[in-house]
This record gives sequence, C-alpha cells and structure tokens, in this order.
Amino acid sequence: MNEILVLAEHRGGELRDVTFEMLGKAGALAGASGGAVTALLLGAGVRDMASRLTSYADEVLVVDHGNLTDFNSAVYQPVIAEVVKSREPSLVMVGHTAFGVDLAPSLAVALGLPLASDCIDVVLDGGAVSVTRQIYGGKVDARLSFRDSATALVTVRAAAFPVEDGARSGSVTELDTPVSDEPAFRRFVQYVEAAIGDVDITKSDVIIAVGRGIKEEENLALVEELAGLLGGVVGCSRPVVDAGWLPKDRQVGSSGKTVKPKLYVAIGISGQFQHMSGMKAAETIVAINKDPKAPIFSEADYGIVGDLFKIVPALKEKIAEARA
Amino acid sequence: MNIVVCVKQVPETAEADLKIAAGGKGIVEEGLALQINESDNYALEEALLITEEHDGDITIMTLGHESSEEVLRMSMAKGAGTAVRVADPAFDGGDAIATATALAAALKDVEYDLVLTGCMASDDGATQVGVALAELLDIPHATYVTEVEVGSGEVTVGRELEGGLIEKLTIKLPCVLGIQTGINEPRYASIMGIARASKREIELKSAGDMGLDASSVGAAGSGTVLEELTFPPVGEGADILEGTPSEASGKLADILKEKGFV
Amino acid sequence: MAVSLQEKYELLGCIQCGRCTAGCPVSMRTYLNVRRVVYDGMTGVGPTDAKGRPEAWNCTTCSNCTERCPKGVKPMELIIGLRSAAIEKGRIEPTIRDALESTFKHGNPWGRIRDKRTEWADELSVPVAAEGEAVPFLFYVGCTPAYDPRAQSIAKALVALFAAAGVEYSTLGTDESCCGNEIRRMGEDGLFEMLVEGNRELFGGHEVGTIVTASPHCMNTFKNEYGEPTPDVVHYSQLLASLLEAGKLTFKGKVEKKVTFHDACFLGKHNGIYDEPREVLEQIPGVTFEEMDRSRERALCCEGGGGRMWLEATEERGERLAETRVKDAVELGADYLVTACPFCLMTLEDAVKTSGNEGKIEIIDLAELAAMAL
Repeated sequence: MNEILVLAEHRGGELRDVTFEMLGKAGALAGASGGAVTALLLGAGVRDMASRLTSYADEVLVVDHGNLTDFNSAVYQPVIAEVVKSREPSLVMVGHTAFGVDLAPSLAVALGLPLASDCIDVVLDGGAVSVTRQIYGGKVDARLSFRDSATALVTVRAAAFPVEDGARSGSVTELDTPVSDEPAFRRFVQYVEAAIGDVDITKSDVIIAVGRGIKEEENLALVEELAGLLGGVVGCSRPVVDAGWLPKDRQVGSSGKTVKPKLYVAIGISGQFQHMSGMKAAETIVAINKDPKAPIFSEADYGIVGDLFKIVPALKEKIAEARA
Repeated sequence: MNIVVCVKQVPETAEADLKIAAGGKGIVEEGLALQINESDNYALEEALLITEEHDGDITIMTLGHESSEEVLRMSMAKGAGTAVRVADPAFDGGDAIATATALAAALKDVEYDLVLTGCMASDDGATQVGVALAELLDIPHATYVTEVEVGSGEVTVGRELEGGLIEKLTIKLPCVLGIQTGINEPRYASIMGIARASKREIELKSAGDMGLDASSVGAAGSGTVLEELTFPPVGEGADILEGTPSEASGKLADILKEKGFV
Repeated sequence: MAVSLQEKYELLGCIQCGRCTAGCPVSMRTYLNVRRVVYDGMTGVGPTDAKGRPEAWNCTTCSNCTERCPKGVKPMELIIGLRSAAIEKGRIEPTIRDALESTFKHGNPWGRIRDKRTEWADELSVPVAAEGEAVPFLFYVGCTPAYDPRAQSIAKALVALFAAAGVEYSTLGTDESCCGNEIRRMGEDGLFEMLVEGNRELFGGHEVGTIVTASPHCMNTFKNEYGEPTPDVVHYSQLLASLLEAGKLTFKGKVEKKVTFHDACFLGKHNGIYDEPREVLEQIPGVTFEEMDRSRERALCCEGGGGRMWLEATEERGERLAETRVKDAVELGADYLVTACPFCLMTLEDAVKTSGNEGKIEIIDLAELAAMAL
C-alpha cells in the first residue's frame, strides 16, 4: 500500500468532521501497511484549513481556486480526477455525505474505478482493500472486495470512525491542476437555511423523538404529553417529516439536526444510521421499539422492547407516580 | 417534457426477521413482500406532477427479474405511458455502476428531457445509480433532490445537505435527478388501474438487444465483489428493561428519577 | 360515455325528503349532507369524486341513510362510489393509501407483515390448519384482532372461551388475509374483488364449513358480499349465545359490574344481530345490564366504520360520536361499556381518554367480559 488519498470536505469555511474521521482511519491503515496519508483539499482561500490538515496527513494537496468556493461536483470532479490519475493512490476516501454522493459515482465512472459506498469499515489485507457496508437499512453487513484495480474508491459513512488528535506533521503542496469555470449546465445559486420554527430542539436538555412507529399524526399527542412530563421537546426521524406530521426543524439526523441533549428517548424509531448520527452524542439514550433487533438498541443505554402504544401510557403513569 | 423514471423493486424488510441464504451472499427473499423502492416512488410521483403541468410522456424503466414488472404495471396505472424492463441473466449480481451501465445502454434509443431516479435503494443503500448514470450518459446531475422547478431548458433544484441546509442549483436539460423522499405525496394506483395496465406491453431489453457485452455488466462487469453477508455484531447495546409494559416502564421511571429527569 | 351517477346508483327515485340526512350520525358533526350529495348526483351537479367532495370520506357506512330511505335509494353506495372515483384517480389521503397498499402487499390494512399475523397467539396453543386440511369450523381472526395490541385480547379471550366450551376449531394462521369489508367501503372495488377471490379460494381449499369471526365487519362482508356458495358465517356473539343455550359453555366466575352495551353498526344495523350479545351478557353471573337510551336500531355509530379507522373526519364540528357514546354510558353509571367489535372497542377507548372519563368507565369487548367469567 503506498498512498491513501482522503478528500477533505468543508462547508462555510469549516472542515467537516467526516474529514478528520477519514484521516484518522487512513492513518491507522497507513500505519499498519507502511503507506502514506494524503489529504486533498479543494477550495478558495483555504490556506488555514490546509495547515490544520497537516497534523492529520503526511501531505496536504491543495487546489486553491476561485471557482472552487462552493462545492459543485461538475467543477470539483475533473480536478479530483486529474489528481487521482496522476497519483494513482491505492485507496481514495470520500465522505458519504450530500457532497460525496453527488461526486463519487461520477468520479468512479469517469476514471473507471470500482466504488463501494457508505462504508462503515475499511480493511487492508496485504495490498487488498475490503470494506464493510450495511444493507437492508442496517440489518445486514456486507463485506466487499475490489476487482483488480490499482485504485479503490470508497465513500465513508459519517461518524463511522472517531476523530482523534492529529499527530502528523505533513507538508502542504499547492497543485496547479487546471480548474474550469462553473459550467453553464450546472450553476450554484445559493444555500438556503431551513426556516426556524417555534422550537429549537438543539437547545433542549430532553428530547422525546418519534419515528415511523407512531403510525398516525394524531398519535403525536401521546409523545407530546410525555415530553411535557419530562420538560422536553418532541423531535423525530425522517419519515415523520416526510409524512408532514412535524416540521423539518424537528428532524434529528444527518439531513436534520444534530443534537446532544442530556436525555434522548427514541420511540418507534428503528435507528437508521442517518438518524443515529444526529443523536448518538446524547448523554442518556432510551429506546422503545417493538423490534428487539432494531439498530437503535445498539446505541441506547436503556431499552424497552414492546408496543409503544402500551409502554408510553404506562411510562407516563409511572413517571407521575415517581414524582409523587 | 419527456421523462424517464428508473425504478427498482425491493423487498420490504423493515419489520421482517431476515435470514442470510446459504452461501452467505444474499438474504432469503421468500416470504418478503416486494414493492417499489421508496424514493423511486417519489421520483415517479414527481414525474407525474411535472408532466401534468408541462405535458409530455413518462417512460418507466427497471432492471430486474420478471417479478419487477409489478412495479412497472403500478407505474403505468399511475400514468406512465411506456414501460421497459432491462432484463437479462447477464445483469444478475451487478453492482450499482454495472446496473447504471445497463440502464444507460437502455436509454440510448429513448428520447428524454429528464431522467429521474430515487436517490437511494432501500435494499443495497448504494446511493450511486443516478449519478453514475448521468456520467455514463454524459449529462449533468444532482442528487438528494427535494425541490424541482421546471424552467425553460433547465430545472432549478434544491438538494438536501446535512443539517437541513438546501443547496439551490440550476441544471440544464437533459439531466438526471436523484429524488429524495418527502418531495411530494405519492398517489395511489388502484387495483383496477393495475389490472388495465397489465394488458399493456412491457418492452424487454436484453444485453444483446442493446449491444452490451455480457462481461461489461452484471457480476462480471462489477468493480466490487460481494464476499459475504453477516449480521452486525451485537454491540454492548442497551440494558433491556424486561417485564410487562407497566413493569418495564416502572423500571425506566426509576432510572429517570435517579438521573434527575423526573 | 361513462354512466352517470344518477343512472349508476338509481337516484331518480329520490324525493329529497331528507330522512337520510336526518338519520346520519356524522351530519351532526361534519359537513356531510347526504341529501345534498344525492341531489347533486341526481341532477349531475358538482364533483363526481371524493377528491372534489372530501366530506364523502366522513361517512362511516353505518347504513342509516339507506335503511331510512322511503324510496329504496342507496345513498351509502353513492358515497362509496364517490370514493371509488377518487381512488381511480389515485388522489386519496395518504393514510387511506397506506392502508390499501398494505392490504395489497401484506393482506392487512395495518402496515404489518404477514409473518407476524399470528403473533397474538405466540404464547397460546391455537390450532392452525395445514395446507389443504379440511376446516369444518374456522375461527377467522381478522386483521385488527390479529395485529392491534389492544384488540388482540379479543382473539385471546375467544380461544379461551372456545377451549372452555370444547369447540373444535382451526385458524388459517399466516394464510389468513383481510376480509375486505373496510376495503370495499373505502371504495377500492378492485382490491376488494381480489380479496374475495383469494379468500374464496382459501376457504374452498380448506372445505370450510362454518366461519366464526371476531369482528362484525368481517362477518358482514363474508355473509352478504362474497356471493354463493359461501360457508355459514356467524359472529362470535351468536356462537357464544348458542353455546350457552346448549349448555356447552357455562360461567363459573362472577363479574359484579354494571354494564351497558353498544351495538356495533355492522352487527346491528347491517345484520340485525341485537339479541345474542345481550343474551350472553345477561347470563354472566354478577352482571347488571342496563340499556342506554339510544340502543339497538337507534344506536349511535362510533365512527370507526367505513374506513374511518384510517381517516379523521374533515372539517369536524362538535364532539366525536364515540365521546357522546361514552358520556351516555357514564351518565348511566355503567362500570363497563361493552361492545362486540374491535373498531368500536378502539374508538370508544380513545374517547374515554379524550372526553376526560379515564377511571370512570372501562370499554370492554363482550368476549373479554365472557372470558372473565370462566
């Protein structure tokens, strides 16, 4: 194994956590195989970010160009392709994020690389890369290898690996890879923040979150009452927002809010990783679900297996008793 | 505005107790209900809404076995005019890019202004086909799309980023959009509608029909190789509070009290 | 050209007397005006589907309107027809859509997988017919008693009663599918036909002689809408009454409670079964039975029928009928409001909470009450 190339992801001038998670994993892999960790950073005026990355990579490749200010896969992809072609790393790691999924498949096709997406583990055995990814909504793990390719491309699930302190002291290399103008066929317009509603769930110490298991909008009253008893607010997983039962600003998860309350009670939420990445940092997590194999139980501190429509009313009673 | 919607039939696994099949490379599908992939259903609805407003025809396309024709018939019942099943044993076991390769070939002789797919399949979760397809067709793309507004020769879309942020883009037609769930409210296909649709023809396209070399698609044409399926290791996991709803709730209430939440 | 509503539902007989609306329980609390719907259908005015006429979804298909019509017009069928037209267009409430799609995929409207249909019986020994095995006496559990955690206790109580009375029966396990009663009333004719065909084949394959159902809704459609030849179909209240009469079922226990009985529309109004549940009640030792004012033919609907388990009324006004019903029973001083229908059980139990009567009265199914006295 010679080189592991990690694509640094940033937004609004900040490097995103997934970048450090991937660099940490790449460092461990490189350490075991005697390879090198390279970070690839594209952007405009990214010198500070580049120097921060030097603690995590042996070399930081920088393409600094005004056309790279905002992520646009149509502009980014040819630049990254050029770098990958010239360096021929054994492994390219891209975050399995809204940016990564918009980029990686077209990069794979353009370069003829094999792509494994949403990986939760990457293993190097000899020179061979294999990965683990989850299928069927996290119910099954699939291990994949790559067919004879000099370079394997993977997208890595956010929060799959921890962020560790960087202990490297890499160099920064400015590349003069050509950058095209933003093409007329895909133009960035703007970022729009989701409207802020009456409740900011990220500010609450107690969140009672509901998922698909709540079945009907009118059943929300049940969890609202529980939230009231515990002095908390009601959050939810994606299906509840898709159904229009709660506004988007109540959604916890990768495409919603990341929360760190003191108490998080997940009710009727199976625990898709998209949801769990938004709440796993809560201090105490309680899960109520009828499926004992629901992934949420692996993240929870306490669990009750059963029907939420029986348990939540019982819990309300018991809390009232405990208070009395 | 002619639209191709690429969809996939997937097993419904949310509530099921899954079993890994002998050989360790697949799950036992027997007994699992099959249905249109969730985000694909939203993609189909988006196509229907667009053609209702801007005219045009919808071609519904899937790569899959004969059972997946049910999804095509359901889509025709909702309003798709033409149905294509990309069907060949050579396509079996293909990864997402091999699948996109076959779909791209099937699209070669179809006239379209827009291609819609769901952004992610609920079975393999690859999140790749739409974007790979666009690259293979050499047209622009966007995925995780939660808003589509059709303009003249272009679409303005909203992409859902992490943290609830929306990225607005304008994209020239033709393009591929990966549609995210929640963008609309999918309609219902009545059983009588499906029955009427089942009398209509479904065009079959084999690898040979499309001039594809069997080695470029399916498992043979895939860059990734599925080695084995396992159940995720049971982590330390939650301390499960046992008993009747009342008993378990009582234990939980005590814990919450101890921790100062009550 | 499509057949007009007037022709299809033979509306010309209508004399606009308004007896339909006057007897309609939901006209009191929603904007459904049955007479108006018939008038518009007759004169070809207004929207011809429930998408343009959302109040058509408020109907609970209690059949009061049809029963009361002096000219034999069937307004309830017209309303179901308006729903069918909306379903054909695919534009229906998501909750109705999900119930229909679930029934198509899994054979039940509750979004649960077929494999879990027998979950209620996991801890019990409930006979399940092997493939092709003859079933002279079938206990058809039904989707709601099979899947709903509250209603499961009806199924459990029934198997306890069967055991006590030495009834030899079998169930169809996970092969059992939705009866289609609610599906037809939601207006999904094609799905209903599919279910009828599948169930007839299933019953035929097991040479089913008699069916006892836990729910009056299942009984209604098997009995009245499945066509010939069908097995004999009884509601469990009829079976219990005959078992008691024959001395096969006896109550050893005592339930010292004052009870009243809520007639389910599909037991009473639709099928004229008023006496048997009362006969069972009166034989339970310790029970003091008293009628509510609105009982039997005049019983108030709970709003759980006609697909309304999956849909809230649009533009509601006034209190829910189930709440009115609970208040009536509380006023009577009853400890238990007894019903013999899983939908009534669920809607009334909800209403106990929403009307603030928790602790004052309990809703209980006749089977549960009978099992308490074993």
